[in-house]
Amino acid sequence: MPIRYLKKHAALEGTVTADDAEALGQWVQAQAAPAVHLGRCAGLHSAALQVLLCLQPRLLAPPPDPWLAAVLGPLPTPRPLATPAQAHP
Amino acid sequence: MNTTELLDQFVLEARECLEQIGQRLLDVERRPDDKDLLNDLFRQVHTLKGNCGLFDFKPLERVVHAGEDLLDRVRNGTLTYSAGIADALLAAMDYTGELIDLVARDGQVPAAADERAQALAAALRQHLAPGAAPAGALPQASTGSGPATPAAAAAAATTAPLPDWVQALPAEARQPGRVALRYRPEPTCFFKGEDPFHLARHTPGLQHLAVQPAQPWPAAADFDCYHCNLVITLVSDAPQAYVEEHFRYVPEQTELHALRQEASATPAVAADVASLLHDRLRRLWDDQRLLLSRPGIAAGSVAAARRTLGQLLAVAADPAAANTARQALEALPPGAAPLAAWATQHHPAGAAAVAGAPVPAPSALPEQRRGPASAPDDNPGGHGNGQKVLKVGQDKIDRLMDLIGEMVVAKNALPYLAQRAEDVFGQRELAREIKTQYSVINRIAEDMQHAIMQVRMLPVGTVFQRFGRLVRDLSKKLGKDVALVIEGEDTEADKNVIESLADPLIHILRNSLDHGIELPAARLAAGKPAQGSLRVTARQEGDRVILDITDDGAGVDTDRVRAKAVERGLIPADRASLLTEHEAVQLVFLPGFSTAESISDLSGRGVGMDVVRNAVERVNGTVALSSTRGQGTQIRLTLPLSMAVTNVMMIESAGRRFGVPMDLIVETVRVPGEDIHHFKQAQTVVLRGRIVPLRALNDLLTLDTPPRCNADGEHAVLVVRLGSETIGLLVDDFHGTSDIILKPLEGVLAGITGFAGTALMGDGSVLMILNPKELV
Repeated sequence: MPIRYLKKHAALEGTVTADDAEALGQWVQAQAAPAVHLGRCAGLHSAALQVLLCLQPRLLAPPPDPWLAAVLGPLPTPRPLATPAQAHP
Repeated sequence: MNTTELLDQFVLEARECLEQIGQRLLDVERRPDDKDLLNDLFRQVHTLKGNCGLFDFKPLERVVHAGEDLLDRVRNGTLTYSAGIADALLAAMDYTGELIDLVARDGQVPAAADERAQALAAALRQHLAPGAAPAGALPQASTGSGPATPAAAAAAATTAPLPDWVQALPAEARQPGRVALRYRPEPTCFFKGEDPFHLARHTPGLQHLAVQPAQPWPAAADFDCYHCNLVITLVSDAPQAYVEEHFRYVPEQTELHALRQEASATPAVAADVASLLHDRLRRLWDDQRLLLSRPGIAAGSVAAARRTLGQLLAVAADPAAANTARQALEALPPGAAPLAAWATQHHPAGAAAVAGAPVPAPSALPEQRRGPASAPDDNPGGHGNGQKVLKVGQDKIDRLMDLIGEMVVAKNALPYLAQRAEDVFGQRELAREIKTQYSVINRIAEDMQHAIMQVRMLPVGTVFQRFGRLVRDLSKKLGKDVALVIEGEDTEADKNVIESLADPLIHILRNSLDHGIELPAARLAAGKPAQGSLRVTARQEGDRVILDITDDGAGVDTDRVRAKAVERGLIPADRASLLTEHEAVQLVFLPGFSTAESISDLSGRGVGMDVVRNAVERVNGTVALSSTRGQGTQIRLTLPLSMAVTNVMMIESAGRRFGVPMDLIVETVRVPGEDIHHFKQAQTVVLRGRIVPLRALNDLLTLDTPPRCNADGEHAVLVVRLGSETIGLLVDDFHGTSDIILKPLEGVLAGITGFAGTALMGDGSVLMILNPKELV
């Protein structure tokens, strides 16, 4: 399983496929303060990418791929300003 | 048309294109300022590229595309045609030819070809030196899915300011020479297994990558992660072709923009651009009006025209007027008529100018469409002259010719039948009717034969085309300066004859270049112009085609030829010294003869002139060589116009019938037995003041029958020409002549000498055709 849903964040590891995107989206929406860790993410399918871009979870660690990291740049970082709009309990 | 046929057609056309391209490249090199030539060359390459694109022949397309880019720059005057460019292009076209051959054989391009294609494309692109010219000269491959018509897109890409998405790119990414691309995946792309980001991420030469939502992100509750809402913009410094190839599966979702320097380079250019822009704008505007004026126009077309017009406003010269027009457009009711009225009113050239003028004729339209489809038609040297041309594979023609040949043979059976009707059945009347029918069929068969011959006739120029390239490359390699003059390339001959000519002629040209023409310094020392001349002329004489290859080089060094011939043991030394100059020159035709000290890749392998002679004689031609020391060499090839049907004379000897090719026969005479002179074994006869040696055909064929005389004690003598000599063959009797289809001896019979082949006669018998050259 490329995504491990931990207590405080989801760890995206290896290659995240299109099939994982839906579960990721649901998980992010279900969290009060979702956060993702892409430190060991080798590849991110576009569907999962747009989940992150749309739902804006906090980014605990950027992915190793600089291009992907740049695209995910706008995501809030661990010490964010308040982003109340994203919280949908 | 199924794929195989399409492929065959492709191969055919590609070869034709390549041939023309090769020719044009040389023409252009000679006259680099000739715009028409360049344009034609570009068109050919463009056509070829378009054809390659039909199939998935990536290496092929890559090379051709690079060539096209390069030529486009040359054509636009932003790059000067040079020998380096010519070399690169020729090399690329050679390789393309190889690939086409592979495609013809296997139906696909081998995977290994890509590497070489990349290298060649890179070599071509090297000439597109960055900064030497604005990269905007690259063809604009706006494969955008925008609403504009193709013409509008082309116009906008050439003249309009940068699209906004390009302007939105960060300045450091927007460097001239790079390619910007916007990729708008379909919303449903994920269901097709596409991964747009992954695709974009792996673009070759990626320099910049940004991902934006196509629509603002919806509220989280409405968000569907499988509805793609991404727009990817990227900048790459890889050649445009590579980027295009990378996105080849989603061309309709990508927009490509070759970045160039800002348009404000010089005011003159800016003014030019402005006028061009205005011109294009007006034309596009007129196109839309034309479209709207059509009766029964579909609602979708009206909407498209409306959008196009709206976008054209963005480039209008007068922003204030454009603004008013835009507001008016927005307020327009739907439908074609109001929009047409609006288009006339707000015409960029001014409403007054247009009001009186009718909608322009549609003929103004096509000239701005640039596409592969238009290219083949305006091919000046080819077949665009109104006559319809059918492309037929050679095998079909050959089959037709075989059939006609059979027909000719079959019709020859009718006279036998008539004879039988008369002799065996005593039906004189019937025999006469058969003969009448025969004459009708005979006439038709002859016409058919003539017609098929015409189809197979090719101008010898098709062979000469390769010479320009050969001479250019070789003379460069050898450091010689040679001008090739070709005359009479329109002379026609049968396809097989022409094709059999190619190799001998190349041998001869190589010899002339390598051995004949001297280095410039040596030529000057000998009082000749530094530039050597090599002249190839073709002309028709009767039923023969005569080809002369003349050079003004050093001529054949007969002393060396003699020495070499002796050294190689080809003739004894005492005989060599007795030879006249002319005879010594002929020594070069001996098998295994070569004067070259070292084997080069040009000549000197000892397979020179004898190969030429064999090849020419195989098609019943002759070679003559004459040479003057210090002044040059002339080689004359004499070839039959056609070789499909052979006219033979039938003779009888020892109760058997044989055929002898008519073109060898000088005359047939009856010689009284007492006129034959016997000298030891040899027999001779004096004919018209010349001594003609006689040989009995029976002896030559080792038949143990003495020659037979007729009732008056006369011998039948067939006088044949062998090279420059004549010889008389003693036979028993002469019969008529006949047109036959000569079939070479095959299988176990192939080794038999003395016979040229066999032919099937009308009465079903097989006639052996003699080859007197081998017999005597």
